[in-house]
Amino acid sequence: MMISSAFRKEMSQTEIGKTINYCYQCGTCAGICPAFRVNSNYNPRRLVEDILLGFKDKLLNDKNIWLCTTCHLCLEVCPQGVLVSEMLFDLRHMAVAIGNIPENIREEGVRVFNTGLNLPNNPAIARRRTKMGLKENLMTPNVEVIQTILKEVGFPKLIEKLPEEGGNE
Amino acid sequence: MSEYALFVGCVIANRYPHLEKSGRMVLENLRIKFKDIPEFGCCPNPTGTLQISREAWTAAAAHNLCLAEDKGLDILTFCNGCYETLKSANVEMKNDPHHKDVVNKILSKVNMEFKGSINVVHFLEYVYKIITPEKLKETVVKPLTGLRVATFYGCHYGRPSSIVDFDDPIRPVSLDRVVEALGATSVEYLNKHTCCGSAISGIDEDSQLILLKDKLEQIDRVKADLICVICPACYMQLDGNQRKVNSKFGTNYKIPVLYLTELIALAQGIPPAELGLNFHAVKMKELIEKF
Repeated sequence: MMISSAFRKEMSQTEIGKTINYCYQCGTCAGICPAFRVNSNYNPRRLVEDILLGFKDKLLNDKNIWLCTTCHLCLEVCPQGVLVSEMLFDLRHMAVAIGNIPENIREEGVRVFNTGLNLPNNPAIARRRTKMGLKENLMTPNVEVIQTILKEVGFPKLIEKLPEEGGNE
Repeated sequence: MSEYALFVGCVIANRYPHLEKSGRMVLENLRIKFKDIPEFGCCPNPTGTLQISREAWTAAAAHNLCLAEDKGLDILTFCNGCYETLKSANVEMKNDPHHKDVVNKILSKVNMEFKGSINVVHFLEYVYKIITPEKLKETVVKPLTGLRVATFYGCHYGRPSSIVDFDDPIRPVSLDRVVEALGATSVEYLNKHTCCGSAISGIDEDSQLILLKDKLEQIDRVKADLICVICPACYMQLDGNQRKVNSKFGTNYKIPVLYLTELIALAQGIPPAELGLNFHAVKMKELIEKF
């Protein structure tokens, strides 16, 4: 297994990431984690340990890092103030940057980019809204403005479908 | 009393408009002044866009904040996800001038600038802190006496507490006090603070449904008449996926799930027929007959 001694430093570069250096592996995060409770493939203490040990390749290719429910309980209970959940979001961002993104998350990103919304309206809902006395279409964002913002931070590249996953594209 | 920009969010507006209906009626009843801003876009979702890019999440949130700032309005939202996103972006940029400059450089491409002049409030936070349970009680015409309510806060209402900072992040009380003000009994149950599982629905359905089953099991054990939620994602999971739990685990849960504004609306005497309660996946004939 490839070990990257620079990985801990790489993760520690942000205000969030540098808190990892205070972890003493007590496992309080795993104890309260709902994802760990139902699926032992997701263990926040183990993920932090693997970061500290430099298992970069293993982590960035591990589908299990996406099991976090984003509930932030780990971050609230950590006795060392490690921003566990937020820091593991950073780990996901590194995975996304090399093309490892779950399809449902990628599709959500595409919807946000194309329509300015995660869940756009549809004809059935529009009819139901009108029937209920609500405005037919409540959210009508300026898609061009949102796309300009998202392009500025390099979002389109992150939600591209990679050829090897997309078949004939 | 100030006026608010109402941030309904896409899950309520474009999937569960009946929740919006009760929300608007309750805002009127509570004399909360609000305006719609049609240009509002995706908050964006902390369980979606934030997992792809923190920069994209913050910048798109800042775009919404700027729209409200232009109108001089604080933002009031019905959704935990929108709340965490908009409040995080707002607080983080207000507290960190460097961060604000970085985001403003992005926003300058669309001629916008985040100034830091408004606040973001969740509907429950508003009812609890500004209206107060005592005053809410005065608006009740049909007290929910005898009703056993299991409250569920969801994850993004009180956490991270460094950002939200007004109720306890693990054992919050605001929703329980509000439900009690309506005349109902708030019942305690095990693992109340644990996630409903909604966020991993597209990642691992087995884990998602086990989390939901655990929650329903604990709530059923204390014989709650209904679950009261303050987040449309929790609503989607608890109401919409109860049937899936039953078919997967051979259970027979039929616990009605009401969004807070629906419960307040019933206590304020709004006829159930006006609320679109028929759009709930778990039917609540017995419950409605009480009103």
